[in-house]
Amino acid sequence: MLLQLNNISKWVHSGGQKVFLLKDINFWVHEGDFISIMGPSGSGKSTLLNIIGMLDGFDEGEYSFLEESVHRLKEKHRANLYKQYIGFVFQSYHLLDELTVKENLEMPLLYKKIGGSERKALVADMLDRFNIVGKKDLFPSQLSGGQQQLVGIARALIASPKLILADEPTGNLNSKQGEEIMEIFKQLNNEGVTIIQVTHSEKNTAYGSRIINLLDGSIV
Amino acid sequence: MIRNYFKIIWRNTIREKQFTFLNILGLTIGITSCFIIGLYVYNEVTYDTSHEKGDRIYRINQSYIWGDWNDQYAATGPNVAVALKADAPEFEKVTRMLSIGSQNMRNKSATENTNIFKEEGYFLAEENFFEVFSFEFIKGDPKTALKEPMSLAITQETASRYFGNEDPMGKPLEVRKSDGTWDTFTVTAVLADVPENSHIQFDILGSLSTIQKKLQNQNWLWAWTGFGTYGLVKEGTDVENLTNKIQAIPPKWAARTTERLFSQPYEEFTDGKEWKLYLQPLKEIYLSDTPNEHAFGPNGNPQFVKLFSAIGILILFLCSINFMNLSTARSSKRSKEVGIRKVLGSDRNRLIKQFVLESTLFVAASTLLAIILTQLSLRGFNAIADKELSFIPLLMNPICIGIIILFIFILGIAAGSYPAFYLSSFQPIETLKGKVTSVFKGKNLRNGLVVFQFTISIALIICAFFVQKQLAYTSSLDLGLIKDNVLQIHNIEQLGDRAETLKAKLEANPAFTHVGKSYGIPPNVWSGDKYRAFGPENPAIHFTDVRTEGDFLDVLGLTFIEGRNFDPDRIADKYGVVLNKEAVKVLGWGKRDAYAADSPVGKFVAMTNESADKMEVLGIVEDFNFSTTKEKIGPLVILHQDNDKVWNYGRGRTFLAARLDPKGVENSRNLQTLIEGIEKEMAQIDPSILFEYSFMDQEFEKTFKSEQRMAKVLNIFTVLALIIACLGLFGLAAFSAERRIKELGIRKVLGAKVFELALLFSSEFTKLVMISILLASPIAYLLVNEWLKDFAYRTPIDIWVFLIAAICAIAITLLTVSMQTLKAAMTNPVDNLRTE
Repeated sequence: MLLQLNNISKWVHSGGQKVFLLKDINFWVHEGDFISIMGPSGSGKSTLLNIIGMLDGFDEGEYSFLEESVHRLKEKHRANLYKQYIGFVFQSYHLLDELTVKENLEMPLLYKKIGGSERKALVADMLDRFNIVGKKDLFPSQLSGGQQQLVGIARALIASPKLILADEPTGNLNSKQGEEIMEIFKQLNNEGVTIIQVTHSEKNTAYGSRIINLLDGSIV
Repeated sequence: MIRNYFKIIWRNTIREKQFTFLNILGLTIGITSCFIIGLYVYNEVTYDTSHEKGDRIYRINQSYIWGDWNDQYAATGPNVAVALKADAPEFEKVTRMLSIGSQNMRNKSATENTNIFKEEGYFLAEENFFEVFSFEFIKGDPKTALKEPMSLAITQETASRYFGNEDPMGKPLEVRKSDGTWDTFTVTAVLADVPENSHIQFDILGSLSTIQKKLQNQNWLWAWTGFGTYGLVKEGTDVENLTNKIQAIPPKWAARTTERLFSQPYEEFTDGKEWKLYLQPLKEIYLSDTPNEHAFGPNGNPQFVKLFSAIGILILFLCSINFMNLSTARSSKRSKEVGIRKVLGSDRNRLIKQFVLESTLFVAASTLLAIILTQLSLRGFNAIADKELSFIPLLMNPICIGIIILFIFILGIAAGSYPAFYLSSFQPIETLKGKVTSVFKGKNLRNGLVVFQFTISIALIICAFFVQKQLAYTSSLDLGLIKDNVLQIHNIEQLGDRAETLKAKLEANPAFTHVGKSYGIPPNVWSGDKYRAFGPENPAIHFTDVRTEGDFLDVLGLTFIEGRNFDPDRIADKYGVVLNKEAVKVLGWGKRDAYAADSPVGKFVAMTNESADKMEVLGIVEDFNFSTTKEKIGPLVILHQDNDKVWNYGRGRTFLAARLDPKGVENSRNLQTLIEGIEKEMAQIDPSILFEYSFMDQEFEKTFKSEQRMAKVLNIFTVLALIIACLGLFGLAAFSAERRIKELGIRKVLGAKVFELALLFSSEFTKLVMISILLASPIAYLLVNEWLKDFAYRTPIDIWVFLIAAICAIAITLLTVSMQTLKAAMTNPVDNLRTE
């Protein structure tokens, strides 16, 4: 078991009333899963993904990640945990505009305090693996959307996480680029990386092994 | 990691050119101002710090016995030093300087008379002067240089003036005496030029023993207040005790002076007031408030130092605020970076470090630019402020470099900490989702900072306005005399009796309407003495007096309200006096409306109770400004030039004043020819006399030299502060334009006109500036009111000045934000709305 959510709820107060963003979510992920979270806008997909990624908190329930109780951890430990095991891929890529492809890839390693030569090797590896060696000195704005997302995935992958969280990774791409990205996810999954994606597209869910449907904050 | 920070900072810097430019420009201007002000203040507060025994040197001041006894007076009579040597063994040495006015000198060996120079920096000093003060010697022995009579210690510059490259040691130099003959002195020492930051500024020091005979006769005097007395106390002396102890000296030693000179016992002379002696530490002399002047060199203005220190710190504040404002305003752009970094594993501390590093680098770059800019603008500043500041020698000093590095870090951290904490506090999900609601939280603070900046700038603008207004007001005051077109010819005392010859020649010249001789000329009438309405029961009061002749009063164009002017045909007039209205009032003879019933004309004034000494009042003139217009007009006694009942201290300088007929000198070339003509006439009478002239209106202007200088410097820094504030406003407007572009787009789609949008957008900023105006006005009012207290004649604090400042501020605001306004109002809404 990679992670498990038990009775997770999250709410906000609006106009004096409790409005549930997530309600009684029970959910587990095994290593090697490829899960797609689906649902209409506002159903809580992204909130759920952020909670799994430890970027967001929750108001009720329990969350254990690799046998650790996330809700009991202090901020710093939690950060260490996701730094080590989780990689993020975003719909709008979120590369740092001021850094080149190579430097963007290097960034997570810097925060993990990995030494210079090892960093170089890992970055070279990734560039190679995603066939973007020729683009290593370009800035994000010089790349197409698909290429930027490729860099985004490479960056998520570089610190060898167990889990990749992808929030609509193909949302900003055309269908051909989208397919390419999904193929890469499929391949990564085959290599043993656990993937959770949020998606609107039925077609994308086909790459996954399990689908979770959300509606108004609850799993249906 | 650090390399990564540098990289991202560098690339941000390059990418966001406008932001970088505004930030660096603002910081550079601010730091440059701060450096220049810092140099100025450093220079002012480090006067007289180079004397070896400086911390044991004290100047002896006394109560200002010629005026307000609560003030301190930097000059003493010759007896103070004598008394201290006798009664206060705590002094290791006591030394005196004597100011005897400027002297005309020449190198005896030079045969031509043209080689005469007027030496303004000529003083006499006692033998042990150089054992107290450590002025640098190039040649000669400090112990003996001023021992023998007729010795001169001269500075290097003076030496080259008279002797060129020759060795001046042992050579003769001649000083002109009042009767036209020359005294021969010998050069006994050559000194390095006196450093600029010394309150004693001399070119030549003669030995005090030169006037040995006079000194021996008058060494008991406390009234010959031309001396500066300095004491070197023994090591370990308790100065407070010593000060208490020497208070016993005036009653004991000055009584002889009051009795013999003023025919009053000490108690009657002091009349319950305390005749005190003060010990003023050497380092405090230059910037002292009381006494605020002395005869041997410059006295600084502690108010200016405080004012400029305050302005320097404020400007530094302004530019730090700018930096914070611009940095946080850019946060919508930076927030994404913060979010990504946090998601990729950065904690808050690292982000804070990154942002502080960034601001420190900005400050460091600006500081480097500021150092260059300071060096470039220093010469201009020196010209305006009449200073000789230099930056490069300080830059070579490791302590100074240390301070600058410390300054960079402190300012970098101060300016960077708020943006750092603010930016690093963003929640990653919100920033990455584009829901940067938290970004707007700083809005009130940013607005507050802009209000603060503009409050300071507007207050400075109002103050600068009033300073100008006051200066214009004082120069247009009705002085009671006609100051324009009065030519003053100096050094007339050296002509002796032949002055009349020159006067007759001038009178014959149709270019002049009046010509008169005088021993003092407004606004430089300073001398004074104690006079009373004749009669033993009447109190002696300090009056200003001036020795002159009737013709001079005609030159000034004074108005007689009672009686008459001196009449050269009546011999008895030489013991007559003319009083001003204020003098009549002070003597107790009533105000003007009382004259008709009991005319003061025909009454007597006197210095003593002897009836032989009484002097008849011939006439009363309307009050006129005979000294600075900073003070109210005091009582004035106008004496006849030949009056020998009043002791004249060596008669002093004499002038011929001539009123020009404006028709006769229509252009400056005419004037030039006229003056050259007079020079020739004077040379015909005696070619060895230096020809010097001045104009009375210019002399009046000069009395406001330091205020004018201050006004100029204040104007410069006001403009700089305003520029910095505008940069901040510009940045804020750019940010706001970016933020509100969608709102404005929607309004436009709904039918708003460009004009309405522009108004809507700029009102956000005019509102802030209006608040600043409201805050700045009372602050400026208080400051101006305080400053004006120093003046006897004050310009009214008119409301229209505040209105003009307000209008200026709003106009500047609109101009500053206009570019952003137009950009925001004119863009096609489709472009903006589509991006969402």
